[in-house]
Amino acid sequence: MRYKLLCALCSGLLAALILLSLFTGKYPLRLEELLGGNELHRRVFLNLRASRTLVGAMGGFALGVSGFVYQTVFRNPLASPDIIGVSSGASAGAAAGILFFSGAAAVTVSAFLGALGAVAVVLTLSALDKTGRNSSIVLAGIAVHALAQTVLMCLKLTADPERELASIEYWIMGSLNGVSIHSLGGNLLLCLLCLIGLFLLHRQIILLSGEEGEARMLGVSVGKIRLLVLLTATLTVSSVVSLTGLISFVGLLAPHGARLLTKDNRPGTMALAGLLGGVLLLGADILARSVSAVELPVSIFTSLLGAPFLISLIGRRSS
Amino acid sequence: MHFFTVSNLSAGYGGKPVLEDISFSLDSGCLLGILGANGSGKTTLLKALCNLLPHKGSCILEENVLEKLKPGQMAKLCGYIPQRSGISLDISALDVVLMGFNPHLKLLERPTQAMKTQAARALGLVGLAGKEALNYQTLSEGQKQLCILARTLCTGSRLLFLDEPESALDFRFRYRMLELLQDWLTQAPRAAVVSLHDPFLALNYCHRLLLLSEGRILGSLCPKTDPPHRMEELLSHIYGEISLASCTDRSGRKHLVMLKEASAPIRANILP
Repeated sequence: MRYKLLCALCSGLLAALILLSLFTGKYPLRLEELLGGNELHRRVFLNLRASRTLVGAMGGFALGVSGFVYQTVFRNPLASPDIIGVSSGASAGAAAGILFFSGAAAVTVSAFLGALGAVAVVLTLSALDKTGRNSSIVLAGIAVHALAQTVLMCLKLTADPERELASIEYWIMGSLNGVSIHSLGGNLLLCLLCLIGLFLLHRQIILLSGEEGEARMLGVSVGKIRLLVLLTATLTVSSVVSLTGLISFVGLLAPHGARLLTKDNRPGTMALAGLLGGVLLLGADILARSVSAVELPVSIFTSLLGAPFLISLIGRRSS
Repeated sequence: MHFFTVSNLSAGYGGKPVLEDISFSLDSGCLLGILGANGSGKTTLLKALCNLLPHKGSCILEENVLEKLKPGQMAKLCGYIPQRSGISLDISALDVVLMGFNPHLKLLERPTQAMKTQAARALGLVGLAGKEALNYQTLSEGQKQLCILARTLCTGSRLLFLDEPESALDFRFRYRMLELLQDWLTQAPRAAVVSLHDPFLALNYCHRLLLLSEGRILGSLCPKTDPPHRMEELLSHIYGEISLASCTDRSGRKHLVMLKEASAPIRANILP
Protein backbone atom coordinates (compact mmCIF):
# COMPACT_ATOMS: atom_id res chain seq x y z
CA MET A 1 0.00 0.00 0.00
CA ARG A 2 2.99 2.16 0.72
CA TYR A 3 4.03 1.93 -2.93
CA LYS A 4 0.64 2.92 -4.21
CA LEU A 5 0.60 5.95 -1.94
CA LEU A 6 4.15 6.97 -2.83
CA CYS A 7 3.65 6.39 -6.55
CA ALA A 8 0.34 8.29 -6.50
CA LEU A 9 2.01 11.15 -4.65
CA CYS A 10 4.89 11.30 -7.12
CA SER A 11 2.57 10.98 -10.11
CA GLY A 12 0.49 13.87 -8.78
CA LEU A 13 3.61 15.98 -8.32
CA LEU A 14 4.80 15.10 -11.81
CA ALA A 15 1.41 15.98 -13.31
CA ALA A 16 1.47 19.36 -11.54
CA LEU A 17 4.98 20.02 -12.84
CA ILE A 18 3.91 19.04 -16.35
CA LEU A 19 1.13 21.64 -16.23
CA LEU A 20 3.49 24.23 -14.80
CA SER A 21 6.11 23.42 -17.44
CA LEU A 22 3.60 23.83 -20.26
CA PHE A 23 2.87 27.40 -19.16
CA THR A 24 6.32 28.55 -18.02
CA GLY A 25 8.71 30.35 -20.34
CA LYS A 26 9.64 33.59 -22.03
CA TYR A 27 6.53 33.76 -24.12
CA PRO A 28 3.49 34.01 -21.84
CA LEU A 29 0.90 31.43 -22.88
CA ARG A 30 -2.67 31.74 -21.79
CA LEU A 31 -5.18 28.97 -21.78
CA GLU A 32 -8.08 30.97 -23.25
CA GLU A 33 -5.94 32.15 -26.18
CA LEU A 34 -4.77 28.60 -26.81
CA LEU A 35 -8.28 27.19 -26.80
CA GLY A 36 -9.50 30.17 -28.82
CA GLY A 37 -7.38 28.99 -31.72
CA ASN A 38 -4.63 31.63 -31.64
CA GLU A 39 -2.12 30.34 -34.23
CA LEU A 40 1.00 31.78 -32.57
CA HIS A 41 -0.02 30.41 -29.19
CA ARG A 42 -0.71 27.03 -30.71
CA ARG A 43 2.73 26.91 -32.37
CA VAL A 44 4.57 27.95 -29.24
CA PHE A 45 2.63 25.39 -27.26
CA LEU A 46 3.30 22.48 -29.63
CA ASN A 47 6.78 23.27 -30.89
CA LEU A 48 8.36 24.56 -27.74
CA ARG A 49 6.48 23.74 -24.58
CA ALA A 50 4.86 20.40 -25.30
CA SER A 51 8.01 18.82 -26.70
CA ARG A 52 10.17 20.24 -23.97
CA THR A 53 7.81 19.03 -21.27
CA LEU A 54 7.54 15.60 -22.83
CA VAL A 55 11.32 15.21 -23.01
CA GLY A 56 11.69 16.48 -19.46
CA ALA A 57 9.15 14.11 -17.92
CA MET A 58 9.97 11.06 -19.97
CA GLY A 59 13.72 11.70 -20.04
CA GLY A 60 13.78 12.04 -16.28
CA PHE A 61 11.74 8.85 -15.93
CA ALA A 62 14.13 7.01 -18.25
CA LEU A 63 17.24 8.26 -16.44
CA GLY A 64 15.79 7.25 -13.07
CA VAL A 65 14.84 3.75 -14.20
CA SER A 66 18.10 3.07 -16.01
CA GLY A 67 20.05 4.38 -13.03
CA PHE A 68 18.20 1.83 -10.90
CA VAL A 69 19.17 -0.90 -13.38
CA TYR A 70 22.86 0.04 -13.52
CA GLN A 71 23.15 0.27 -9.74
CA THR A 72 21.49 -3.11 -9.31
CA VAL A 73 23.37 -5.01 -11.99
CA PHE A 74 26.77 -3.60 -10.98
CA ARG A 75 26.00 -3.96 -7.26
CA ASN A 76 27.40 -0.48 -6.93
CA PRO A 77 25.45 2.40 -5.40
CA LEU A 78 27.52 4.87 -7.40
CA ALA A 79 27.00 3.19 -10.77
CA SER A 80 25.62 5.46 -13.44
CA PRO A 81 25.58 5.46 -17.25
CA ASP A 82 29.16 6.75 -17.03
CA ILE A 83 30.33 3.43 -15.69
CA ILE A 84 30.06 1.75 -19.07
CA GLY A 85 30.94 4.81 -21.12
CA VAL A 86 27.49 5.98 -22.24
CA SER A 87 27.92 9.64 -21.31
CA SER A 88 31.47 10.14 -22.50
CA GLY A 89 30.70 8.30 -25.75
CA ALA A 90 27.69 10.51 -26.32
CA SER A 91 29.74 13.65 -25.63
CA ALA A 92 32.44 12.65 -28.10
CA GLY A 93 29.75 11.72 -30.63
CA ALA A 94 27.96 15.03 -30.18
CA ALA A 95 31.22 16.96 -30.56
CA ALA A 96 31.96 15.12 -33.79
CA GLY A 97 28.42 15.86 -34.96
CA ILE A 98 28.83 19.57 -34.20
CA LEU A 99 32.18 19.73 -36.01
CA PHE A 100 31.53 17.66 -39.08
CA PHE A 101 27.79 17.84 -39.72
CA SER A 102 25.19 20.48 -39.31
CA GLY A 103 21.74 20.58 -37.82
CA ALA A 104 20.34 19.43 -34.51
CA ALA A 105 19.16 16.09 -35.91
CA ALA A 106 22.67 15.20 -37.06
CA VAL A 107 24.08 15.99 -33.63
CA THR A 108 21.43 13.82 -32.00
CA VAL A 109 22.16 10.88 -34.27
CA SER A 110 25.89 11.34 -33.85
CA ALA A 111 25.64 11.48 -30.05
CA PHE A 112 23.43 8.39 -30.04
CA LEU A 113 25.94 6.48 -32.18
CA GLY A 114 28.80 7.71 -30.00
CA ALA A 115 27.11 6.37 -26.88
CA LEU A 116 26.30 3.02 -28.45
CA GLY A 117 29.78 2.78 -29.96
CA ALA A 118 31.44 3.35 -26.60
CA VAL A 119 29.27 0.72 -24.91
CA ALA A 120 29.88 -1.74 -27.74
CA VAL A 121 33.65 -1.33 -27.24
CA VAL A 122 33.28 -1.77 -23.48
CA LEU A 123 31.26 -4.96 -23.78
CA THR A 124 33.58 -6.38 -26.46
CA LEU A 125 36.66 -5.65 -24.36
CA SER A 126 35.09 -7.19 -21.28
CA ALA A 127 34.21 -10.32 -23.28
CA LEU A 128 37.97 -10.91 -23.65
CA ASP A 129 38.03 -11.76 -19.96
CA LYS A 130 36.73 -15.30 -20.03
CA THR A 131 35.76 -15.35 -16.37
CA GLY A 132 32.94 -12.94 -17.27
CA ARG A 133 33.15 -10.95 -14.09
CA ASN A 134 31.32 -7.71 -13.47
CA SER A 135 34.59 -6.04 -12.60
CA SER A 136 35.95 -6.59 -16.10
CA ILE A 137 33.05 -4.54 -17.50
CA VAL A 138 33.76 -1.78 -15.00
CA LEU A 139 37.48 -1.77 -15.86
CA ALA A 140 36.77 -1.72 -19.59
CA GLY A 141 34.31 1.11 -18.91
CA ILE A 142 36.97 3.18 -17.18
CA ALA A 143 39.39 2.63 -20.09
CA VAL A 144 36.81 3.56 -22.73
CA HIS A 145 35.67 6.55 -20.69
CA ALA A 146 39.24 7.85 -20.64
CA LEU A 147 39.61 7.17 -24.36
CA ALA A 148 36.37 8.99 -25.23
CA GLN A 149 37.50 11.95 -23.11
CA THR A 150 40.71 12.08 -25.11
CA VAL A 151 38.79 12.01 -28.39
CA LEU A 152 36.56 14.77 -27.05
CA MET A 153 39.58 16.85 -26.09
CA CYS A 154 41.13 16.45 -29.56
CA LEU A 155 37.86 17.44 -31.17
CA LYS A 156 37.64 20.49 -28.92
CA LEU A 157 41.20 21.51 -29.92
CA THR A 158 40.28 21.54 -33.58
CA ALA A 159 36.98 23.34 -32.95
CA ASP A 160 36.45 26.95 -33.82
CA PRO A 161 36.41 28.64 -30.39
CA GLU A 162 33.75 31.18 -31.26
CA ARG A 163 30.94 28.93 -32.41
CA GLU A 164 31.74 25.23 -32.34
CA LEU A 165 33.58 25.06 -29.05
CA ALA A 166 30.78 26.97 -27.36
CA SER A 167 28.17 24.58 -28.79
CA ILE A 168 30.16 21.57 -27.61
CA GLU A 169 30.49 22.99 -24.11
CA TYR A 170 26.84 23.92 -24.07
CA TRP A 171 25.81 20.44 -25.25
CA ILE A 172 27.87 18.80 -22.52
CA MET A 173 26.23 20.96 -19.89
CA GLY A 174 22.87 19.63 -21.00
CA SER A 175 19.66 21.45 -21.70
CA LEU A 176 16.13 20.74 -22.76
CA ASN A 177 16.19 23.92 -24.81
CA GLY A 178 15.84 23.46 -28.54
CA VAL A 179 14.30 20.00 -28.67
CA SER A 180 11.58 20.21 -31.24
CA ILE A 181 8.52 18.08 -31.69
CA HIS A 182 9.65 17.05 -35.19
CA SER A 183 12.94 15.46 -34.24
CA LEU A 184 12.07 13.60 -31.07
CA GLY A 185 9.56 11.00 -32.26
CA GLY A 186 12.09 8.25 -32.95
CA ASN A 187 13.98 8.84 -29.72
CA LEU A 188 10.92 8.80 -27.53
CA LEU A 189 9.49 5.70 -29.19
CA LEU A 190 12.78 3.86 -28.66
CA CYS A 191 12.95 5.10 -25.08
CA LEU A 192 9.38 3.94 -24.38
CA LEU A 193 9.97 0.48 -25.84
CA CYS A 194 13.19 0.02 -23.87
CA LEU A 195 11.51 1.16 -20.66
CA ILE A 196 8.78 -1.44 -21.14
CA GLY A 197 11.53 -3.98 -21.77
CA LEU A 198 13.32 -3.04 -18.54
CA PHE A 199 10.16 -3.45 -16.47
CA LEU A 200 9.54 -6.85 -18.04
CA LEU A 201 13.13 -7.82 -17.29
CA HIS A 202 12.88 -6.72 -13.64
CA ARG A 203 13.05 -10.28 -12.24
CA GLN A 204 16.22 -10.97 -14.24
CA ILE A 205 17.77 -7.68 -13.10
CA ILE A 206 17.27 -8.72 -9.48
CA LEU A 207 18.75 -12.17 -10.19
CA LEU A 208 21.82 -10.52 -11.74
CA SER A 209 22.39 -8.55 -8.54
CA GLY A 210 23.54 -11.68 -6.70
CA GLU A 211 26.86 -13.44 -6.80
CA GLU A 212 27.56 -14.77 -10.30
CA GLY A 213 27.93 -18.45 -9.50
CA GLU A 214 24.76 -18.33 -7.46
CA ALA A 215 22.85 -16.68 -10.32
CA ARG A 216 24.14 -19.33 -12.71
CA MET A 217 22.94 -22.10 -10.41
CA LEU A 218 19.54 -20.43 -10.38
CA GLY A 219 19.45 -20.98 -14.14
CA VAL A 220 20.52 -17.52 -15.29
CA SER A 221 22.80 -17.41 -18.34
CA VAL A 222 24.61 -14.55 -16.66
CA GLY A 223 26.63 -13.30 -19.65
CA LYS A 224 23.72 -13.22 -22.09
CA ILE A 225 21.12 -11.81 -19.73
CA ARG A 226 23.50 -9.16 -18.46
CA LEU A 227 24.26 -8.13 -22.05
CA LEU A 228 20.54 -7.91 -22.81
CA VAL A 229 19.79 -5.85 -19.71
CA LEU A 230 22.75 -3.49 -20.15
CA LEU A 231 22.00 -2.92 -23.83
CA THR A 232 18.36 -2.14 -23.09
CA ALA A 233 19.32 0.28 -20.31
CA THR A 234 21.97 1.86 -22.54
CA LEU A 235 19.51 2.38 -25.40
CA THR A 236 17.14 4.03 -22.94
CA VAL A 237 19.77 6.46 -21.69
CA SER A 238 21.24 7.12 -25.14
CA SER A 239 17.85 7.99 -26.59
CA VAL A 240 17.44 10.66 -23.90
CA VAL A 241 20.99 11.94 -23.64
CA SER A 242 21.41 12.32 -27.38
CA LEU A 243 18.49 14.78 -27.31
CA THR A 244 19.36 16.73 -24.19
CA GLY A 245 23.10 16.49 -23.65
CA LEU A 246 24.52 15.27 -20.38
CA ILE A 247 22.26 15.53 -17.38
CA SER A 248 24.02 14.94 -14.12
CA PHE A 249 22.72 13.41 -10.93
CA VAL A 250 19.21 12.30 -11.98
CA GLY A 251 20.24 8.72 -12.74
CA LEU A 252 22.23 8.54 -9.52
CA LEU A 253 19.80 10.21 -7.18
CA ALA A 254 16.34 9.07 -8.26
CA PRO A 255 16.94 5.35 -7.57
CA HIS A 256 18.47 6.09 -4.17
CA GLY A 257 15.53 8.28 -3.29
CA ALA A 258 13.10 5.56 -4.34
CA ARG A 259 14.91 2.88 -2.36
CA LEU A 260 15.16 5.02 0.74
CA LEU A 261 11.43 5.66 0.54
CA THR A 262 10.27 2.07 -0.07
CA LYS A 263 13.24 0.15 1.42
CA ASP A 264 13.08 -2.56 -1.21
CA ASN A 265 13.67 -3.27 -4.88
CA ARG A 266 10.36 -4.41 -6.32
CA PRO A 267 9.05 -3.15 -9.68
CA GLY A 268 7.12 -0.49 -7.75
CA THR A 269 10.41 0.93 -6.49
CA MET A 270 11.77 0.98 -10.03
CA ALA A 271 8.69 2.90 -11.16
CA LEU A 272 9.09 5.28 -8.24
CA ALA A 273 12.72 5.87 -9.28
CA GLY A 274 11.40 6.85 -12.70
CA LEU A 275 8.75 9.18 -11.29
CA LEU A 276 11.28 10.87 -9.00
CA GLY A 277 13.61 11.26 -12.00
CA GLY A 278 10.81 12.90 -13.97
CA VAL A 279 9.97 15.26 -11.11
CA LEU A 280 13.61 16.18 -10.64
CA LEU A 281 14.40 16.83 -14.30
CA LEU A 282 11.20 18.70 -15.05
CA GLY A 283 11.49 20.77 -11.88
CA ALA A 284 15.10 21.60 -12.71
CA ASP A 285 14.16 22.54 -16.26
CA ILE A 286 11.38 24.89 -15.09
CA LEU A 287 13.91 26.64 -12.87
CA ALA A 288 16.53 26.68 -15.64
CA ARG A 289 14.27 28.68 -17.90
CA SER A 290 12.65 30.95 -15.33
CA VAL A 291 15.30 31.94 -12.78
CA SER A 292 17.27 34.33 -14.95
CA ALA A 293 16.84 36.19 -18.22
CA VAL A 294 19.15 33.76 -20.00
CA GLU A 295 18.53 30.04 -20.17
CA LEU A 296 20.76 28.13 -17.69
CA PRO A 297 22.10 24.57 -18.01
CA VAL A 298 19.64 22.14 -16.46
CA SER A 299 22.33 20.14 -14.64
CA ILE A 300 22.95 23.04 -12.29
CA PHE A 301 19.46 22.64 -10.95
CA THR A 302 19.26 18.84 -10.96
CA SER A 303 22.26 18.87 -8.61
CA LEU A 304 20.98 21.84 -6.64
CA LEU A 305 17.57 20.25 -6.06
CA GLY A 306 18.81 16.71 -5.78
CA ALA A 307 21.61 16.98 -3.25
CA PRO A 308 19.53 18.40 -0.36
CA PHE A 309 16.76 15.89 -1.09
CA LEU A 310 19.18 12.99 -0.84
CA ILE A 311 20.78 14.38 2.30
CA SER A 312 17.38 14.84 3.94
CA LEU A 313 16.45 11.23 3.12
CA ILE A 314 19.70 9.96 4.63
CA GLY A 315 19.08 12.09 7.70
CA ARG A 316 15.59 10.67 8.02
CA ARG A 317 16.87 7.12 7.75
CA SER A 318 19.46 7.52 10.49
CA SER A 319 17.05 9.13 12.93
CA MET B 1 25.06 -47.62 -12.89
CA HIS B 2 25.32 -45.03 -10.11
CA PHE B 3 23.05 -42.04 -9.67
CA PHE B 4 25.93 -39.55 -9.78
CA THR B 5 29.45 -40.32 -10.95
CA VAL B 6 32.49 -38.08 -10.88
CA SER B 7 35.54 -39.27 -12.77
CA ASN B 8 39.08 -37.93 -12.79
CA LEU B 9 38.18 -34.40 -11.84
CA SER B 10 41.02 -31.88 -11.61
CA ALA B 11 40.64 -28.17 -11.14
CA GLY B 12 42.51 -25.10 -9.99
CA TYR B 13 42.74 -21.35 -10.08
CA GLY B 14 44.92 -19.60 -12.64
CA GLY B 15 46.96 -22.68 -13.55
CA LYS B 16 47.67 -23.59 -9.93
CA PRO B 17 46.14 -27.02 -9.29
CA VAL B 18 43.89 -27.33 -6.24
CA LEU B 19 42.11 -30.59 -6.90
CA GLU B 20 43.77 -33.58 -8.50
CA ASP B 21 42.16 -36.68 -9.89
CA ILE B 22 39.00 -36.83 -7.82
CA SER B 23 36.72 -39.77 -8.58
CA PHE B 24 33.70 -40.97 -6.63
CA SER B 25 30.13 -41.99 -7.16
CA LEU B 26 26.96 -42.04 -5.14
CA ASP B 27 23.61 -43.75 -5.30
CA SER B 28 20.17 -42.30 -5.07
CA GLY B 29 19.18 -41.40 -1.51
CA CYS B 30 22.76 -40.88 -0.38
CA LEU B 31 23.92 -37.96 1.71
CA LEU B 32 27.62 -37.63 1.02
CA GLY B 33 29.64 -35.55 3.44
CA ILE B 34 32.96 -33.98 2.52
CA LEU B 35 35.40 -33.47 5.37
CA GLY B 36 38.72 -31.73 5.19
CA ALA B 37 40.85 -29.12 6.89
CA ASN B 38 40.71 -25.48 5.85
CA GLY B 39 42.20 -25.08 2.39
CA SER B 40 41.87 -28.76 1.50
CA GLY B 41 39.70 -27.97 -1.52
CA LYS B 42 36.14 -28.57 -0.28
CA THR B 43 34.68 -25.39 -1.73
CA THR B 44 36.67 -25.77 -4.93
CA LEU B 45 35.32 -29.30 -5.34
CA LEU B 46 31.73 -28.16 -4.91
CA LYS B 47 32.23 -25.30 -7.35
CA ALA B 48 33.76 -27.64 -9.90
CA LEU B 49 30.86 -30.10 -9.47
CA CYS B 50 28.45 -27.22 -10.10
CA ASN B 51 30.43 -26.43 -13.22
CA LEU B 52 31.18 -22.94 -11.91
CA LEU B 53 34.89 -23.57 -12.27
CA PRO B 54 36.69 -24.80 -15.40
CA HIS B 55 37.94 -28.34 -14.77
CA LYS B 56 39.09 -31.59 -16.35
CA GLY B 57 37.14 -34.79 -15.91
CA SER B 58 33.41 -35.35 -15.98
CA CYS B 59 30.37 -35.36 -13.70
CA ILE B 60 27.45 -37.50 -14.81
CA LEU B 61 24.04 -37.31 -13.14
CA GLU B 62 21.91 -40.24 -14.37
CA GLU B 63 22.39 -39.85 -18.13
CA ASN B 64 23.23 -36.11 -18.07
CA VAL B 65 26.80 -34.90 -18.47
CA LEU B 66 26.72 -31.81 -16.24
CA GLU B 67 29.51 -30.06 -18.13
CA LYS B 68 27.39 -30.00 -21.28
CA LEU B 69 24.27 -28.51 -19.71
CA LYS B 70 23.18 -24.91 -20.13
CA PRO B 71 22.60 -22.97 -16.88
CA GLY B 72 18.83 -23.34 -17.25
CA GLN B 73 18.99 -27.14 -17.59
CA MET B 74 21.63 -27.43 -14.90
CA ALA B 75 19.50 -25.45 -12.45
CA LYS B 76 16.54 -27.76 -13.01
CA LEU B 77 18.63 -30.77 -11.99
CA CYS B 78 20.98 -29.37 -9.36
CA GLY B 79 20.75 -26.90 -6.53
CA TYR B 80 23.66 -25.10 -4.88
CA ILE B 81 23.99 -23.41 -1.52
CA PRO B 82 27.18 -21.33 -1.33
CA GLN B 83 28.89 -20.61 1.98
CA ARG B 84 27.40 -17.17 1.90
CA SER B 85 24.75 -16.00 -0.49
CA GLY B 86 25.72 -12.89 -2.41
CA ILE B 87 22.35 -11.16 -2.16
CA SER B 88 23.10 -7.57 -1.25
CA LEU B 89 19.81 -5.89 -2.09
CA ASP B 90 16.92 -5.09 0.18
CA ILE B 91 14.38 -7.74 -0.84
CA SER B 92 11.88 -9.78 1.09
CA ALA B 93 12.60 -13.31 2.28
CA LEU B 94 9.73 -14.58 0.12
CA ASP B 95 11.23 -12.97 -2.98
CA VAL B 96 14.55 -14.68 -2.21
CA VAL B 97 12.82 -18.07 -2.09
CA LEU B 98 10.92 -17.28 -5.29
CA MET B 99 14.26 -16.83 -7.10
CA GLY B 100 14.51 -20.62 -6.92
CA PHE B 101 11.68 -21.01 -9.41
CA ASN B 102 13.64 -19.18 -12.09
CA PRO B 103 14.61 -22.34 -14.03
CA HIS B 104 10.91 -23.16 -14.39
CA LEU B 105 9.97 -19.71 -15.66
CA LYS B 106 10.43 -18.17 -19.09
CA LEU B 107 12.58 -15.04 -19.42
CA LEU B 108 9.79 -12.51 -18.87
CA GLU B 109 7.39 -14.67 -16.85
CA ARG B 110 6.52 -13.87 -13.24
CA PRO B 111 6.12 -16.41 -10.43
CA THR B 112 2.59 -17.79 -10.18
CA GLN B 113 0.36 -17.74 -7.11
CA ALA B 114 0.98 -21.48 -6.65
CA MET B 115 4.72 -20.82 -6.55
CA LYS B 116 4.23 -18.12 -3.92
CA THR B 117 2.21 -20.52 -1.77
CA GLN B 118 4.87 -23.18 -2.19
CA ALA B 119 7.63 -20.71 -1.31
CA ALA B 120 5.82 -19.60 1.84
CA ARG B 121 5.38 -23.25 2.83
CA ALA B 122 9.10 -23.87 2.30
CA LEU B 123 9.92 -20.93 4.57
CA GLY B 124 7.65 -22.46 7.20
CA LEU B 125 9.39 -25.81 6.80
CA VAL B 126 12.82 -24.39 7.60
CA GLY B 127 11.48 -22.55 10.63
CA LEU B 128 10.95 -19.09 9.17
CA ALA B 129 7.15 -19.10 9.19
CA GLY B 130 5.68 -15.62 9.33
CA LYS B 131 8.90 -13.99 8.15
CA GLU B 132 7.93 -13.90 4.46
CA ALA B 133 7.69 -10.13 4.25
CA LEU B 134 10.83 -9.38 6.26
CA ASN B 135 13.78 -7.79 4.53
CA TYR B 136 16.35 -10.51 3.84
CA GLN B 137 19.17 -8.16 4.88
CA THR B 138 17.73 -7.79 8.39
CA LEU B 139 17.77 -11.57 9.00
CA SER B 140 20.61 -13.07 11.01
CA GLU B 141 23.29 -15.03 9.15
CA GLY B 142 21.70 -18.30 10.24
CA GLN B 143 18.24 -17.21 9.13
CA LYS B 144 19.68 -16.14 5.79
CA GLN B 145 21.19 -19.59 5.39
CA LEU B 146 17.82 -21.20 6.20
CA CYS B 147 16.12 -18.92 3.70
CA ILE B 148 18.56 -20.04 0.99
CA LEU B 149 17.91 -23.66 2.03
CA ALA B 150 14.17 -23.06 1.54
CA ARG B 151 14.91 -21.62 -1.90
CA THR B 152 16.89 -24.70 -2.85
CA LEU B 153 14.53 -27.31 -1.42
CA CYS B 154 11.34 -26.10 -3.05
CA THR B 155 12.47 -26.15 -6.65
CA GLY B 156 12.44 -29.83 -7.51
CA SER B 157 16.13 -30.42 -8.17
CA ARG B 158 17.54 -33.93 -7.83
CA LEU B 159 21.06 -33.26 -6.64
CA LEU B 160 22.05 -30.68 -4.06
CA PHE B 161 25.48 -29.22 -3.41
CA LEU B 162 25.83 -27.52 -0.04
CA ASP B 163 28.94 -25.66 1.04
CA GLU B 164 29.19 -25.64 4.85
CA PRO B 165 25.49 -24.95 5.28
CA GLU B 166 25.70 -25.36 9.05
CA SER B 167 28.47 -22.84 9.66
CA ALA B 168 26.22 -19.94 10.74
CA LEU B 169 23.51 -22.00 12.43
CA ASP B 170 22.95 -22.44 16.14
CA PHE B 171 22.87 -25.82 17.87
CA ARG B 172 19.20 -26.56 17.20
CA PHE B 173 19.07 -25.42 13.61
CA ARG B 174 22.16 -27.46 12.67
CA TYR B 175 20.18 -30.61 13.39
CA ARG B 176 17.09 -29.12 11.82
CA MET B 177 18.99 -28.48 8.60
CA LEU B 178 20.38 -32.00 8.35
CA GLU B 179 17.04 -33.57 9.29
CA LEU B 180 15.40 -31.51 6.54
CA LEU B 181 18.03 -32.77 4.12
CA GLN B 182 17.48 -36.38 5.16
CA ASP B 183 13.74 -35.96 4.79
CA TRP B 184 14.22 -34.37 1.37
CA LEU B 185 16.34 -37.37 0.33
CA THR B 186 13.59 -39.90 1.06
CA GLN B 187 11.83 -39.00 -2.17
CA ALA B 188 14.04 -40.76 -4.74
CA PRO B 189 15.75 -40.14 -7.07
CA ARG B 190 17.65 -37.59 -5.05
CA ALA B 191 21.11 -37.19 -3.53
CA ALA B 192 23.13 -34.47 -1.83
CA VAL B 193 26.80 -33.60 -1.46
CA VAL B 194 27.55 -31.49 1.58
CA SER B 195 30.81 -30.13 2.91
CA LEU B 196 30.81 -29.92 6.69
CA HIS B 197 33.05 -28.49 9.37
CA ASP B 198 31.33 -30.25 12.24
CA PRO B 199 32.55 -33.90 12.39
CA PHE B 200 29.71 -34.79 14.78
CA LEU B 201 27.08 -33.93 12.18
CA ALA B 202 29.09 -35.65 9.49
CA LEU B 203 29.47 -38.88 11.48
CA ASN B 204 25.84 -39.07 12.54
CA TYR B 205 23.87 -37.79 9.58
CA CYS B 206 25.84 -38.60 6.44
CA HIS B 207 25.63 -42.00 4.80
CA ARG B 208 29.12 -41.73 3.48
CA LEU B 209 32.08 -39.44 4.08
CA LEU B 210 34.75 -38.37 1.66
CA LEU B 211 37.98 -37.20 3.28
CA LEU B 212 39.81 -34.53 1.39
CA SER B 213 43.39 -33.52 2.03
CA GLU B 214 45.47 -31.17 -0.10
CA GLY B 215 43.20 -31.59 -3.09
CA ARG B 216 43.16 -35.39 -3.11
CA ILE B 217 40.81 -37.98 -1.73
CA LEU B 218 42.37 -39.47 1.38
CA GLY B 219 39.73 -42.12 1.72
CA SER B 220 36.05 -42.72 2.13
CA LEU B 221 34.16 -44.18 5.05
CA CYS B 222 30.66 -45.27 6.05
CA PRO B 223 30.09 -44.20 9.69
CA LYS B 224 27.29 -46.75 10.19
CA THR B 225 29.25 -49.83 9.16
CA ASP B 226 33.00 -49.17 9.25
CA PRO B 227 34.97 -50.41 12.27
CA PRO B 228 35.89 -47.53 14.65
CA HIS B 229 39.65 -48.05 14.50
CA ARG B 230 39.65 -47.61 10.72
CA MET B 231 37.62 -44.42 11.01
CA GLU B 232 39.89 -43.12 13.77
CA GLU B 233 42.95 -43.73 11.64
CA LEU B 234 41.51 -41.92 8.60
CA LEU B 235 40.05 -39.03 10.56
CA SER B 236 43.28 -38.42 12.48
CA HIS B 237 44.96 -37.60 9.17
CA ILE B 238 42.73 -34.54 9.05
CA TYR B 239 42.13 -33.66 12.68
CA GLY B 240 45.29 -34.92 14.41
CA GLU B 241 45.13 -37.35 17.34
CA ILE B 242 41.46 -38.19 17.91
CA SER B 243 39.40 -41.01 19.27
CA LEU B 244 35.81 -42.00 18.61
CA ALA B 245 33.29 -42.83 21.30
CA SER B 246 29.78 -44.12 21.05
CA CYS B 247 27.07 -42.55 23.23
CA THR B 248 23.42 -43.34 23.58
CA ASP B 249 20.79 -40.64 24.13
CA ARG B 250 17.68 -41.09 26.27
CA SER B 251 15.61 -42.34 23.38
CA GLY B 252 18.17 -45.07 22.79
CA ARG B 253 19.66 -43.63 19.62
CA LYS B 254 23.40 -44.09 19.20
CA HIS B 255 25.69 -41.16 18.43
CA LEU B 256 29.32 -41.23 17.40
CA VAL B 257 31.36 -38.58 19.15
CA MET B 258 34.83 -37.48 18.13
CA LEU B 259 37.19 -36.51 20.94
CA LYS B 260 40.41 -34.60 20.51
CA GLU B 261 43.30 -36.34 22.24
CA ALA B 262 45.85 -34.28 24.08
CA SER B 263 48.75 -33.38 21.83
CA ALA B 264 52.15 -31.85 22.50
CA PRO B 265 51.72 -28.33 23.93
CA ILE B 266 52.03 -25.55 21.42
CA ARG B 267 54.98 -23.34 22.25
CA ALA B 268 54.03 -19.86 21.19
CA ASN B 269 57.49 -18.41 20.96
CA ILE B 270 56.45 -15.73 18.55
CA LEU B 271 56.68 -12.98 21.12
CA PRO B 272 60.12 -12.21 22.54
